[in-house]
Amino acid sequence: MLELQELHSFYGRSHVVQGVSLSVGAGEAVGLVGRNGVGKTTTLKSIMGLVPQTSGRILFKDKDLRSSATHARAGRGLGFVPDERAVFPRMTVEENIRIGAFLQPGPQQAGCLATAYELFPVLGRRRNQAAGTLSGGEQKMLSLARGLALKPDLLLVDEPSEGLMPINVDLISRALQQAAATGMSILVVDASFELLRSVCGRLYVMEQGLITGEHKLSEFSTPADLVKTYLRGQA
Amino acid sequence: MEAILVAVLNGLVVGASIALVASGLALLFGVLEILNLAQGDYFMLGGYVLWLSLTHGQSFWVGAAAAAVVVGVAGGLVLMIMLRPLRHRPTGLILLATLALSLILEQLATSTFGGDTKSIHPPIAGVLAVGTKNYPVYDLVIVAVAAAILLGGFLFLRYAKYGIWLRAVAQNHEMASVLGVPVSRVYMLAFIISSALAGVAGSLLVPLTGVYPTVGLDITVSSFIVVIAGGLGNFRGAALIAVVLGVVQSVGAIWVRAQAVQIIVFALVILLLIVRSRRQSVLIRL
Repeated sequence: MLELQELHSFYGRSHVVQGVSLSVGAGEAVGLVGRNGVGKTTTLKSIMGLVPQTSGRILFKDKDLRSSATHARAGRGLGFVPDERAVFPRMTVEENIRIGAFLQPGPQQAGCLATAYELFPVLGRRRNQAAGTLSGGEQKMLSLARGLALKPDLLLVDEPSEGLMPINVDLISRALQQAAATGMSILVVDASFELLRSVCGRLYVMEQGLITGEHKLSEFSTPADLVKTYLRGQA
Repeated sequence: MEAILVAVLNGLVVGASIALVASGLALLFGVLEILNLAQGDYFMLGGYVLWLSLTHGQSFWVGAAAAAVVVGVAGGLVLMIMLRPLRHRPTGLILLATLALSLILEQLATSTFGGDTKSIHPPIAGVLAVGTKNYPVYDLVIVAVAAAILLGGFLFLRYAKYGIWLRAVAQNHEMASVLGVPVSRVYMLAFIISSALAGVAGSLLVPLTGVYPTVGLDITVSSFIVVIAGGLGNFRGAALIAVVLGVVQSVGAIWVRAQAVQIIVFALVILLLIVRSRRQSVLIRL
């Protein structure tokens, strides 16, 4: 589904991603872990076309995406849920979901709304409320629900559990699990062991802009094992 | 009482035309953060397109529709081509570019059509009795047409696919593109709608003001007052404030000299800006 070959990304003179190669198979859920600032978010943004300076190959469904605009990548079946609360604050919850749903064929547009409300019923109850007035956790749910409701072939998810209460982390883990069960490919950046274990089959470890390891989730039995792996014993 | 009623009606006519021009300005600022100093010249071009249509035997309403289409498409494309290389450059440069466009259009109009005023008769000649005075029906038609266009614009922004996309791009263009919104196409649409609104306003007002190369100057100033007062990028606010401004200016002129009313309006806008800056309110609210 997705294959990165020697991906390099730059912000001005800063060489953030320094030759990342990884792959995500069809229907596979993969994690990407590492310390803050190693280039995980930049990797996801590069795949989505949000980093202007990149080199290397980004193969998605066997086609190189590097010359495609961001909206065209979305049109090809790539979804992205960023780590910040990426809602449109002065639009209602329903309008937030409809923005992307408009790209679906007519009859499927209502299905997008139904899917989002089914995943997170609180959003259905607040459908006419401005998204900017939702709590932080609800905004994260809206952002994820919007991404999942569009049923992309591959969903990139950045730090979905960051800053959330455990009960909301459970909800989000369950939503990602359900999506993975329907055959959606997922590449998720997160530090929550519980979330990664419940969603992903394997994960990549990233350090200083490079992939330094690849593991099966079954290799880790406790959160400390995972932390030790990506902190290389510095935890 | 009769004088006040007539002044209110006059104010509604002026306010409706300012509302069309100003809401276009607000839309463009909301989506692209561009203040177009040539908006008044698009108003002028709308008048000339109507005048040309009539001289070629077309009906008034066909001419008004042509003004919207020609100014919308041609004006929108010119703005887009001119401003594309200036994206992400200082706002001052963009303002200067639109000022240059304004001067070019005025000179082009002068050399093409001459500096004289072209007059056109209203398409509807009837009058309505207001007390002992007769009020032209066409003036009320201007208010009705402008109201219909603005209501259509509001409904478009609220419910239509591209309307919702315009608001989404105005709030977060990067996230909109992540969701598959073709942002460049939405930008183009904003340029076209904004220009078309000025063009149609210009054509509607020709029977009242005539058309000459600098006819858009006054309306540019009024539109900027309205857009600033209504909140930059606020389509609804711009439309509402335009009507209020038109009525206040018109009714105020019964008791105070027109120039004094203008000064009071400017003072009120400055006061509003001071209050707003202290409240740190968000300016872009499309």
